Amino acid sequence: MSLLKLRSGFEWLLEVITMFLVVALTVVVLLGVSFRYTGNSLGWYDEVAAVMLAWVTYYGAALAALKRAHISVPGFVYSRPRAVRMAMVVLGEAIIITFFVLLAIYGVYIIGVLGSSTLVSVPIPIAVTQSTIPIGAALYVIAELLNLPDILREAWEGRKPPSEQDIVEELQ
Amino acid sequence: MTTALILLAGLAMIFINIPIAVALGAVSIVAMLVLQGTNSLLGFPLVLFEGATKFPLIAIPLFVLAGAIMNTGGISRRLIDFASALLGFVRGGLAMVNVGTSLFFAEISGSAVADVAALGSILIPEMKRKGYPAPFAAAITSSSASLAIIIPPSIPMILYAAMADTSVVQLFVAGIVPGVVGGLLMMVLAWYFAVRYNFPVEQAFKLSRVWTTFKAAGLAFLLPMIILGGIFGGFMTATEGAALAVLASLLISFRYGELRWKKLRAAMVDGGVQTAVVMLLVASSALLGDFLTRAQLPQMLAAMIGDFTSNKYMVLALLNIFLLLIGMILHSAAAIILTVPIVMPLVMMVGIDPVHFGMIVTLNLAIGQQTPPVASVLMTACSVAKADIWDVSKANVPFVILLFVLLMLVTYVPIFPMGLVELFYR
Repeated sequence: MSLLKLRSGFEWLLEVITMFLVVALTVVVLLGVSFRYTGNSLGWYDEVAAVMLAWVTYYGAALAALKRAHISVPGFVYSRPRAVRMAMVVLGEAIIITFFVLLAIYGVYIIGVLGSSTLVSVPIPIAVTQSTIPIGAALYVIAELLNLPDILREAWEGRKPPSEQDIVEELQ
Repeated sequence: MTTALILLAGLAMIFINIPIAVALGAVSIVAMLVLQGTNSLLGFPLVLFEGATKFPLIAIPLFVLAGAIMNTGGISRRLIDFASALLGFVRGGLAMVNVGTSLFFAEISGSAVADVAALGSILIPEMKRKGYPAPFAAAITSSSASLAIIIPPSIPMILYAAMADTSVVQLFVAGIVPGVVGGLLMMVLAWYFAVRYNFPVEQAFKLSRVWTTFKAAGLAFLLPMIILGGIFGGFMTATEGAALAVLASLLISFRYGELRWKKLRAAMVDGGVQTAVVMLLVASSALLGDFLTRAQLPQMLAAMIGDFTSNKYMVLALLNIFLLLIGMILHSAAAIILTVPIVMPLVMMVGIDPVHFGMIVTLNLAIGQQTPPVASVLMTACSVAKADIWDVSKANVPFVILLFVLLMLVTYVPIFPMGLVELFYR
């Protein structure tokens, strides 16, 4: 399978997960409001909605990494000479990947420590809710690795990475 | 010394193009390792998880989604048609329409950039076709989208309220008067330029056309009434209002029959991505917050400036300069997340109301979106208008000055933003 196909398959998967989570979050909040107005407040609403926001954050962060939509300051690097530019980009990528690898490893460790404890309002294991950290971190690393050839090529050629408006236009 | 080195390392990471959210997290880990040893790392995934579970911030993905649905479901186009029927007979009417529609919902979607791309792609070509110079069309689209940051509902305000632990509803209310006054002044400025440079009159005023376009857009007008009425009336929280905004914009778009699955899907993905970008920053700032609290940096800053001056107005001037500079180089979400926790002790020490300060922060960042080098909103307007950034920046100077005058009013005439808050909530 070519890298391009792998990338578009991975993007599709992350888009479906993110979409599902955004819709589910909206439904949960709407349910929470509706039940509160009928006088039967849902006890689990706040806690579950907050956990879902964390899920949107970490799965969406991997998708944002794949789309290179995270907020950064590219101007300085791309105005340096090629050797300096390449060194900076490689160092930057190494730091990003190391950070998320550490997050994945310690995330798995924490799940082990938390064992069988559950959320306060519903019997959902915290291991399940916390799983978004190591999974999201692993997905982020995959996204970064998939983008790496493009990132290195851009740095070599001195091209700027896609800007916010390019990403917005792509989403239109 | 160690603290300074660690912060310098964080800055260096940002400058080598590491996403700011990751740079904050990475520098916090370095700080933990240096100051507390490897065992301190055990808890960092927990802090990152907890940091992303701030309940009030659930409003962010919901408003982003509602804005995206409004843009793709034909609501924005109908609003433009109505505003054109209403103001098209005035010289420079189309420029006023631009300001009016921007203010109506630009910041609902959370990203002024996305809104300039969506609204601008309808209005800028139309303005150019009618004979407006492209730089002027781009400048007014860009400035009015940024002014909309201070008009409720506003994502930067939601973010500020969460970071400063203050009332988002009061912040929304504080934005009403400055936002409306700013919008009207912007329209007057557009009219002045229209008369001076002989910009066109779009069409003669026809009551029947106003009525037809009003009927077509009628449902859309219910949207802010239901949502803002609900939030201000205390019937629902900002988060619940945001969920209602999604539902209402979805129903209205279905009623108009313009919503297509492909566009809706893109809107949902966009909502998720924009939220994740902001929330990852919020989460990693929680990690950095631990380090800053331990290092007592915000308190040190407050004491340092307190030694220099304890005059509230002097401190406000210093904060304005600082925020303007930060706004020039950082995206507004990143600027709020990075600066608010650091300056809050100083703000409280000199007795500035946190709601008032929230208005000052958001308006500074609105100006920052218009000023290079970052100027994300201005750049997008240039790209839509296919105009040179230098020409657009020149055309934009009067509008930026107007935003600055508004900032001075908000900063030094507290009753201007706080009058309604004092009247209804204190």
